Amino acid sequence: MKFLSLATLAGASLLASTSLTMAGPEIVSGPGVDPACFAAWDADTKFMQWPAAEGPYRIAVVNGFVGNTWRIQMIKTAKAYAEDPSVKDKIAEFKVVSTGTDAPAQLGAIEDFINQGFDAIITIAVSPDGFDRVIRLADRENVVLVPFDNVLDTDAVMQVNEDQTEMGRQWAQFLIDELAAQGVTGGKILEVRGLAGNSVDRDRSAAIHAAFEATGGDWEIVEVVGNWDDGTGQKVTADAIAVHGEFAAVAAQGGTTGVVQALIDAGHKMVPIAGESENGYRKQLANLSGDGLKGISIGQSPGLVAISIKAAISALEGNVMPQLISVPLPVATYDQLEDGVNYWSDLPDNFFTVNEFPPCGVNISGPAIMSQSEADVS
Amino acid sequence: MNSLLSSLAISMRQNRGFYGALFLLSAIYLIYNILHPRGFSSAVFVQNANESVAIVFVAMAQTIPVLMGGLDLSVGAVMTLASCIASVLVNGSPLQIVFGMIVTLASGTAFGFANGLIIVYGRLQPIIATLATGAIAMGLALFIRPKPGGDIDGDLNWALTNSLWDFVDTYQLFDPDALWFQPIAWIPTPFLIIIVVAVVVWIPFRRTVTGRTIYAIGSAEGPAYMSGLPINRAKIAAFTLSGFFASCGGLYLAIQTASGNADITQAGAYTLNSIAAVVLGGTSLLGGIGGAIGSLIGALILRVISFYFRILSIDPLLQPLVEGLVLLAAVSLGAIGVLRVKNRLDLFR
Repeated sequence: MKFLSLATLAGASLLASTSLTMAGPEIVSGPGVDPACFAAWDADTKFMQWPAAEGPYRIAVVNGFVGNTWRIQMIKTAKAYAEDPSVKDKIAEFKVVSTGTDAPAQLGAIEDFINQGFDAIITIAVSPDGFDRVIRLADRENVVLVPFDNVLDTDAVMQVNEDQTEMGRQWAQFLIDELAAQGVTGGKILEVRGLAGNSVDRDRSAAIHAAFEATGGDWEIVEVVGNWDDGTGQKVTADAIAVHGEFAAVAAQGGTTGVVQALIDAGHKMVPIAGESENGYRKQLANLSGDGLKGISIGQSPGLVAISIKAAISALEGNVMPQLISVPLPVATYDQLEDGVNYWSDLPDNFFTVNEFPPCGVNISGPAIMSQSEADVS
Repeated sequence: MNSLLSSLAISMRQNRGFYGALFLLSAIYLIYNILHPRGFSSAVFVQNANESVAIVFVAMAQTIPVLMGGLDLSVGAVMTLASCIASVLVNGSPLQIVFGMIVTLASGTAFGFANGLIIVYGRLQPIIATLATGAIAMGLALFIRPKPGGDIDGDLNWALTNSLWDFVDTYQLFDPDALWFQPIAWIPTPFLIIIVVAVVVWIPFRRTVTGRTIYAIGSAEGPAYMSGLPINRAKIAAFTLSGFFASCGGLYLAIQTASGNADITQAGAYTLNSIAAVVLGGTSLLGGIGGAIGSLIGALILRVISFYFRILSIDPLLQPLVEGLVLLAAVSLGAIGVLRVKNRLDLFR
């Protein structure tokens, strides 16, 4: 039986290796182009190379869900980046569609753009599975498909993301260090989680738990689900404080502005906190760190879309690319915050501060996008 | 010939909503193909068909309760439940695959049957009962598939999401390049699936006493009861058939994505869109008028409207607004008959 499946596998790979049945990227050996921007995920990451195509290129962004600040900022960033002088000449046509959380519609939109002869398609997958068919079609037509943020459970396409496990680990480590400095080596930690069933939430949470366990301290981690949303985060934090009284520290995956607001409203003492990169949260850190709200802010940046577009263009030019691109975590601690640089006290709470990646030449700042009208950025 | 024409004319007068929808669909789909760089090709047709199957089946599922004057809020959830069941069962040997499909369809049908029993013998309003059972279906789906994934047969995925040529080619049924096969080789398999299910299941069903009773209940339940029609049987049958159509959608969704995903937002979106499709297809929300074929057309109109965003350059953040306006316009077209009403009492019918 095993021999049979091996033989089928060998036969299938033989078929796949002939150019007639399947085009698409070739697996090559590294290193890839521009490693400062396109960093390989780890030592085992494969490298891919597409046949070089003539520019300028037609590029589409197929978004799923739309309706929260992060996604809107992402779409505006994508549009602004497509007009950036460094890539403008390389893009012949640029389209953005949002399909909602509807897997067939998203798959259909991707397939439609392949049919229309687009060269690259950037997408935030609505589900980590189910893209086999469009991957096969994209390979057949040599279209570069780049999922980012919510990536796919496959190594057959080039993907762009931040390391969620590392993010969770750094959050937890910051809290552990801050607490150790106060002489605290055990106690209750409040963890505000994200959307249930999502791989990002799962990876971040597992890393937080692992880091606290590794200290050997007597920690009790209380989990609540905040859905990465300010309102929900505030409510569940208030509930948790009402039930548990006091926490030694807080680790929030998102909706951090609301979480801190709940601490303030409940008269909870200011404790070390780890959170996302919302402008409101960074304002709170800047104002309240003297009272003990010592925090770290690490963001999943909407600017990932710009790096994905840049990676797609690079792949179309025939460069060697890592299959999984790790974008460095944008980290800021309470003592590094500077008004007008990495947070903006005169701007609203609900946009994501980190949008720039200097090693990649992505220099579109969040407030520039969110505070200006559409006409100004494009 | 003459009698055929006159019967067509009568049918058009009686089903103005349906023919209006059909005309609207033909018009917008024709323009879409003209604008598309590869319009009128099999590849575009295959892609469009793939994208539409799930919503078409869910819209057909929604139609039958609506014909009785009720709403089924569980159709999206039953579709999701069926896709999660399929993602576990539809793999292995051909026999196991067929078994998995039958179990998937049977579970959805059974769920619809249970809906019917609860509504008839629990004497509950369909909208409330199905809100509750929909939550149960989502719970079961999450239990079966706590996180997205699955292991659907890859060949099946490729064969059913392509043209007939690829279907024959994948399973080596005969030479797909045979001359006699060419006139139909370009037809998308998903399109054929929809047509076959609609023709084999819906059309015979609406001709039965049970089927006609569903229309009678929607028109006037009291007189239908007084006329000795099998009210309870029709209600249970309606929800059972609704469950069957929803599970057809779920089965195809699972095969199409080669996985299952208990996505609550997606289930909700499908339920709401199914109601929109039913209305677009000329079925009255008050019951008694319309049919599943109309909803099939309505669902396709919904889909084709969204196709336009990919070939026209419309600001991405304005797309939902534009989609909403177009939908409103389309629904208003269906209601244009109101302007011709001579007696205002007709509006309350």
